[in-house]
Amino acid sequence: MEIEDEIFINAPRDVVFKSLNDPEILKQCIPGCEELTKVSDTELTAKVVLKIGPVKAKFSGDVELNNEGAPDSFSLTGSGNGGVAGFAKGGADVELIEQDGGTLLKYVAKADIGGKLAQLGSRLVVSTSKKLSKSFFEEFDKAVTGGDSTPDEEEEKSGFWNKIVGD
Amino acid sequence: MNEMTPPKEERSEALKGLGCSRKRVEDARFTQGKGNYIDDIKLPGMLFGDFVRSPYPHAYVKSINPDKALEVPGVLAVITAKDLEPLNLHWMPTLAGDKQMVLADGKVLFQGQEVAFVVATDRYAAADGVELVEVEYEELPPLVDPFKAEIEGAPILREDIAEEKEGAHGPRRHPNHIFTWEAGDKDATESVLDGADVVAEEMVYYHRTHPCPLETCGSVASMDKVNGKLTLYGTFQAPHAVRTVASLISGIAEHNIRVISPDIGGGFGNKVGVYPGYVCSIVASIVTGKPVKWIEDRIENLTATAFARDYWMKGKISATKEGKITGLWCHTTADHGAFDACADPTKFPAGFMNICTGSYDIPTAYLAVDGIYTNKAPGGVAYRCSFRVTEAAYFIERMIEVLAIKLDMDAAEFRRINFIKKEQFPYQSALGWEYDSGDYHTAWDKALDAVNYKALREEQAERLEDFKAGKTRKLMGIGLTHFTEIVGAGPVKNCDILGLGMFDSCEIRIHPTGSAIARLGTISQGQGHATTFAQILASEIGISADDITLEEGDTDTAPYGLGTYGSRSTPVAGAATAMAGRKIRAKAQMIAAYLLEVHDGDVEWDIDRFVVKGAPERFKTMKEIAFAAYNQAIPGIEPGLEAVSYYDPPNMTYPFGAYICVMDIDVDTGTTEIRQFYALDDCGTRINPMIIEGQVHGGLTEALAIAMGQEIAYDEMGNVKTGSLMDFFIPTMWETPNYQTDHTTTPSPHHPIGAKGVGESPNVGGVPAFSNAVHDAFRAFGLTQSHMPHDHWRIWQTANKLGLHD
Repeated sequence: MEIEDEIFINAPRDVVFKSLNDPEILKQCIPGCEELTKVSDTELTAKVVLKIGPVKAKFSGDVELNNEGAPDSFSLTGSGNGGVAGFAKGGADVELIEQDGGTLLKYVAKADIGGKLAQLGSRLVVSTSKKLSKSFFEEFDKAVTGGDSTPDEEEEKSGFWNKIVGD
Repeated sequence: MNEMTPPKEERSEALKGLGCSRKRVEDARFTQGKGNYIDDIKLPGMLFGDFVRSPYPHAYVKSINPDKALEVPGVLAVITAKDLEPLNLHWMPTLAGDKQMVLADGKVLFQGQEVAFVVATDRYAAADGVELVEVEYEELPPLVDPFKAEIEGAPILREDIAEEKEGAHGPRRHPNHIFTWEAGDKDATESVLDGADVVAEEMVYYHRTHPCPLETCGSVASMDKVNGKLTLYGTFQAPHAVRTVASLISGIAEHNIRVISPDIGGGFGNKVGVYPGYVCSIVASIVTGKPVKWIEDRIENLTATAFARDYWMKGKISATKEGKITGLWCHTTADHGAFDACADPTKFPAGFMNICTGSYDIPTAYLAVDGIYTNKAPGGVAYRCSFRVTEAAYFIERMIEVLAIKLDMDAAEFRRINFIKKEQFPYQSALGWEYDSGDYHTAWDKALDAVNYKALREEQAERLEDFKAGKTRKLMGIGLTHFTEIVGAGPVKNCDILGLGMFDSCEIRIHPTGSAIARLGTISQGQGHATTFAQILASEIGISADDITLEEGDTDTAPYGLGTYGSRSTPVAGAATAMAGRKIRAKAQMIAAYLLEVHDGDVEWDIDRFVVKGAPERFKTMKEIAFAAYNQAIPGIEPGLEAVSYYDPPNMTYPFGAYICVMDIDVDTGTTEIRQFYALDDCGTRINPMIIEGQVHGGLTEALAIAMGQEIAYDEMGNVKTGSLMDFFIPTMWETPNYQTDHTTTPSPHHPIGAKGVGESPNVGGVPAFSNAVHDAFRAFGLTQSHMPHDHWRIWQTANKLGLHD
């Protein structure tokens, strides 16, 4: 599964970059994140409650950051285990482009899932993942800009479908 | 006949014997919720078990930590392979001569594999415990595609037997290779193909699916430690075989094991195999001294217990210019999953796949099957069919269509000129079978007439014109099938399972007042045995079917038999029933003669009584004879009226049928509408026409499911993508079309009452009929083969590839 999207964040690039490496901000933004601990500069451990379709589980996992391309790009890989619910692993490549005084954040995320999640949630995984990543970056935008970004019209419309496919 | 004797027809009718559409005696309890299924078994102090299952298709198990699970109130034990090893129960034999892990022994080989068994005081505590067992895995690359099993660098799945060059079915050429099985004459077939006028070649894939019975598998084991007796209740299609296997692997003497199959909510092959749940419930009961219940949920059933099909059949078929078939060649790649647990007779590792010459007189043929291990669930059962007959029937019925296209012939006419002729029976097939009887031309003509085949083709041609002219977006397909099954395994000389000969049995006890109980070695899973076997007996012994109780499934009381699957109950146990009935009648004749004071030879059978030859007013009814058997001292004759018969059939039976499906396909949406489905079945003597019709309806609906949507699909990571009923297609009344049933009757010459078995025919014949209809709709646009299931998405893709959306 691959998700590709971009979002404009009204903050300078170095602020965005720094925030992406800040466990406190990340914790606020990752949907369902209960714990995020920095092990080293490039390693984090996390506990995240995730619900895809009928499967809800607490995932514990490791995240590794790669800052080599700073501040133009940034990548991370991670894997999580949700016990009987299954497992997930994946990564994301993020590109930060200075634009109009702010930052255009482009990302390509890849994920593989297995276990009950994959069995039960297969038809929901892509839509849920898109929703989760969108939610992450919106929260991130808020956290970085302290902004009052209001949900756009499209999201209002999609609320109905969100209810149907499982929140 | 004196005035007191009702006319023959009336007496015959009163028996409700052969040919009577007697209502099912089972239905009173089933329709009132009074059935007694495995989950209805509740024993005092009963515990519950649940499995920790692997999320990975292929991984090493590094450690299993039960500590947190054991802290859950109610959780009593967490059993792992290490606990089973001292008992030598961490692995168990499969029906195919392989072995299978009961619980993960250092490694898991398919997603959903049993890793640990949590035992608790109730099922909720067990499920909570399962969530808390911590298992550390080291992931390994999965092998999902059987065609990549033997390439360089392929992951080795079965490290336990990686070095073994010889398997249960001959040489193995690679650690992921299970067997090669061959039938027919390779050289002769290849030379026929080389010199043929016309050869068609195609890869026919019969996808992996699952029997998905309404009731999932389960067991309740109860070890009585005082008496040393184990009682095992379970959803077993072969309770006696389970008892023998349980005795052999547990070391408990067979007389100390009682296996009981209660009411079973559908089996369709899924309940033939032996599963880790059975073994774990037994072990847990022995360890705790309490009854232990294990019941699968739906996801477990679909992902871990026996699947069906998954055969890649590469075929070549040749014919003369005039359309006479000269040769058939087939190489099958059989994806058997992680353990070879196919439920086939020992000598047939790919079942009766060598029935793949079908209904046709094909002089030369060759078949090879390669069994391959992959990281998928084990199984390979006959899902409502006799061992791999569905695959064989689908293969030949597709190859016939493909060759008809190549010859530019009408597929109905092409079949007709190649059918085995009535006078050729018993027919010796090129791949080694002796077809007992058949009259294919009569059945075929009746079917074509019934649907007005000529008019359908004309309509189809008009539709095509309209389509090309842009007047419609719907194409019309006519799906033809003439199938021949091979059921009733089987002669003990060549059919056994784990060394147990595939005979079957019936024991009859006539009560003094002239009613009776019959016990059989088979077990009904919804087929209506209590109804139909009583009818066989009624006609044999002249006691009304209503006065005959039928019992199956309790190994302490029923005679030994190999169970119910592969349409074998009527051909084998039905024959045993008739034979046991004849023994009863033979003794009854002696009793009647004594009572009538004549010689044995001076009385003759008359529906429900023995009459003195030439003096019909002098007779003894079966009721009178039964009473005398228990109440009168008859010189030279033991009291009582009982008989038992163990029947070893001389041959299989070969039911056949002609099915025609008419379908409209919307090329823009891929949706299908089945306008007409005509099913003619010839199952020999018909015991209960109503039950036959019900079986045909049910089987056709399962065939519809398989052909049009149902599959067990894996992604490239080895995840089961269709592990719940959200994704696994079960037709509802919305999708199910109307069926038109019909029949011809060609009795089996070797069966005591001429019956052949019918329960599985509609699945065997139905799948190719639906699939052929889809293919036929696109024939004019050059489609020769596409893979099932023909769901809307796949049909849309087919239309798209053929350029019909341009």
